[in-house]
Amino acid sequence: MSRTVRWISYSAFFFLYLPVIVLIISSFNASRFGGAWEGFSLTWYQRLFHEPTIWNALTNSLIVAVYSSVLATILGLTSALSLHKYRSYLQKIHLGIILAPLVMPEILMGISLLFLFLAISVKLSLFTVFLAHTTFCISYITLLIKTRLESLENSIVEAARDLGASSWQVFWKITLPFLTPTLVAGWLLAFTLSLDDFVITFFVVGPGATTLPVYIYSMMKFGAPPLINALSTLILLFTAIITIVYYHIAEGDRS
Amino acid sequence: MAASIHFERVSKCFGSAMAADNVSFQVTGGSFFSILGPSGCGKTTLLRLVAGFDTPDQGRIFIDGQDVTHLPPHKRPVNTVFQNYALFPHLTVRENIAFGLRIARKDSSHIVREVDKMLELIQMEAHADKWPDQISGGQKQRVAIARALVNKPKVLLLDEPISALDLKLRQKMLLELDLIHDEVGITFLYITHDQTEAMAVSDQIAVLHRGKIEQVGRPCELYESPRSSFVAAFIGDTNFLDGTVDVSVEKDYSQLHIEDFPPVLCFNDKKLSPGELVHLSLRPEKLRISREKPADHPLHNALKGVVEDVVYQGDHTKYWVRIGGYRLGVTQQHGRFLLDTQQITWKDEVWVWWHADDSYILERYDASDEKLIEAPSEKVGENEENEESKCEE
Amino acid sequence: MRRIKEAMLTFPSFCWLFFFFIVPACLVYILAFKTADYTGKILPGWSLETFYSLFDSRSISLTIRTMWLSILTTGISIFIAVPLSYYMASCKKELQQKLLLSLMIPLWSSFLVRIFAWKVVLHPEGLVKTVLVFIGIIDEQTILLYNDIAIVIVMVYSYFPFAVLPLYSTASKFDFQLFEAAMDLGATKRKSFFSIYLPVIFPSILTASLMVLIPAAGAYVIPEIVGGNGAEMLGNTIVRRVFLDNNLPEASTLSLLLSVVVLIPAIVIATWKASHTSQIKGYS
Repeated sequence: MSRTVRWISYSAFFFLYLPVIVLIISSFNASRFGGAWEGFSLTWYQRLFHEPTIWNALTNSLIVAVYSSVLATILGLTSALSLHKYRSYLQKIHLGIILAPLVMPEILMGISLLFLFLAISVKLSLFTVFLAHTTFCISYITLLIKTRLESLENSIVEAARDLGASSWQVFWKITLPFLTPTLVAGWLLAFTLSLDDFVITFFVVGPGATTLPVYIYSMMKFGAPPLINALSTLILLFTAIITIVYYHIAEGDRS
Repeated sequence: MAASIHFERVSKCFGSAMAADNVSFQVTGGSFFSILGPSGCGKTTLLRLVAGFDTPDQGRIFIDGQDVTHLPPHKRPVNTVFQNYALFPHLTVRENIAFGLRIARKDSSHIVREVDKMLELIQMEAHADKWPDQISGGQKQRVAIARALVNKPKVLLLDEPISALDLKLRQKMLLELDLIHDEVGITFLYITHDQTEAMAVSDQIAVLHRGKIEQVGRPCELYESPRSSFVAAFIGDTNFLDGTVDVSVEKDYSQLHIEDFPPVLCFNDKKLSPGELVHLSLRPEKLRISREKPADHPLHNALKGVVEDVVYQGDHTKYWVRIGGYRLGVTQQHGRFLLDTQQITWKDEVWVWWHADDSYILERYDASDEKLIEAPSEKVGENEENEESKCEE
Repeated sequence: MRRIKEAMLTFPSFCWLFFFFIVPACLVYILAFKTADYTGKILPGWSLETFYSLFDSRSISLTIRTMWLSILTTGISIFIAVPLSYYMASCKKELQQKLLLSLMIPLWSSFLVRIFAWKVVLHPEGLVKTVLVFIGIIDEQTILLYNDIAIVIVMVYSYFPFAVLPLYSTASKFDFQLFEAAMDLGATKRKSFFSIYLPVIFPSILTASLMVLIPAAGAYVIPEIVGGNGAEMLGNTIVRRVFLDNNLPEASTLSLLLSVVVLIPAIVIATWKASHTSQIKGYS
């Protein structure tokens, strides 16, 4: 039986990495049509650096990602703190509101936000994208911080109180330092989610304010220039680094 | 039905650590046999070797004459009671007990009968349909025992079964185990680090130290005639004095030279020669204490000292007496009404004496064993597991 | 005073999500009861017209198709995730970390990129096709792309790691000594896996299923990119109604339908868990 288990596991990992590897290899394929192999080439990478639209989209993505991840982290922090500290009926509803977005397919969130912006006549732009990204990141960060808070021993807080610290001091000197790795991990998570988001962004993005995923999507829809392969490979590399960093922070947390 | 167990030169390594080092011993069929030793590698390994969860690197294991060394666990006529019970959380008490019988495809009426008998034995009929997380630790332990016994194994293995319970419950469960053993009559192989437990119920004890068997014998043999200083220190309490063998006085007695002490006479069956470094082991209850000098006796040793500490325990008192460079522990039982006498107290000058037959000489004691011998804390459980598993990884 | 402090701390996230999540969701559901004209303008008055369109054969087959593909995806994902998470949990600690990381890296990299990668892999002239034809598993005519097979493959690929995460979390808390106990009582390793391991982690299997079912039911990008023309799911149709047909009320109704499709399993599972807590503590 262990043989079956092992076989399935190895196959799963192979399955997981197969397209990634094929993609990376293809990005060096000199062929224009992405089919048969025609020789090793770095032209696509070179071309990448000369495409202004890509850089524009990337910049937009980064701007939105930075702002929304920071705001989401702050909001996630306050909500995790209130959920952890208080046990009232209000918090029960609060928890429901935090959990609800997690059970909802992205497309529903996208469409509802679009309707909202239409209803209140807000022009679709990078700003609306920022609002949307913040919204869907809050829940993840809240849960991340809340879980971590639960492992903070109550006795430590009580000891601080006993030694004369006020609520604010307890937060500043004990809770916040304790949470810092989690806050960084949560921020990193939100940053990545925002950078990568397509569906929700697709609904609320305005003309002229493209993000990278939206741009990639349009490239994919209308043909498949090998430029995407090169771009994708770079994105993969970038996220690999971020994930490793995230895990070092989150695992260092555990010790 | 009562099966013997035989270990023949069994060795097992985990990485660089020898968990079992050329271990050989015999367990008589139907007896209550304990493997006793400090936290750390060794005893659980032996149990796992008998159960079949591990295979020895060398040597063979026999159960009831049959070589089981390479049999997988589910084929062995052995059942285990685990330290943390390992009850199946998704099955009720009744279903947990019935598990082994269901696997063996016994027919339903047989299963129902046997399970009911077991429930009666462990007095859990009222809790038969509860889930494991609804019953207490002691009850879980009993279910674990029933689950094992219902399969009528030839040997029952118990891995520190009561170490996770609190003191009072431990004593109660220990007696229950003894009763069950008497009633069921099969061979029990019991693993523990607690020597009082082992001595209370075992027919024979094997003391294990760093993967090696130090001594096998009846509890009183181990207590009264330990063959090594580890056994002497591990089982019961004792005082160790460092000395050198001086001369042989009579056929079986030697005179020892101990620093700051007058010459001490001791029974010596070990045939040690003059000049050898030894330990003199004195059990506190074998020492006598009084303010007045005792009468002279050719085989008595009497020393003068000062009382440093007094620990009153009701039925006895333990005195710590400073003599020379040593602090000797002396236990005095109070056989008569205490308040009639003038009790010995702090700073009193006293005489401590004993008969040469009541002490024994052992080889030098290894200081690194010190921490192994310190009384383990009451609630062991987790720490024990971590220590053992670290070695066995 | 405490009440005020609590309100202040809860206020930011509560209000944000209320305004940007609850209210918009209500908007969508309300709009389902309205109609629009061909230019997209919302007409005054309420009507159930959009609901009638739900019952025509196209909508019904669309719904069934979406549910079928999602359930199939969920089933295959669980089939992969259960042994995989078991395997990971039974490895040594350092290896576990590495495996988890290896699982995470593709997951965190761009969703679109990975779907696109499959488009390359399943390309009619691509490497995989060539190899498979060479081996003889499929013939030259078979198209791997632009059909339901591709959709399921890519959905499983995208979503099965989400099933692995909760299953792994539960598996790593599993007391493996229960296996030893079962073997000690006469069960083989295989029997123990099916009669001890699976029942005990069952609640986690339910959670993992939801983790796959929800995104699968609402999939839009995957059917759009690798599904080809005939292969629509609810997600594509909703997008089409919004951006192509300009028919927001119908989009709303479909969204309502999607919500129901997703909520029913979620509620069923939550209720089951609530009624079985004492049986399996800590193994959710």
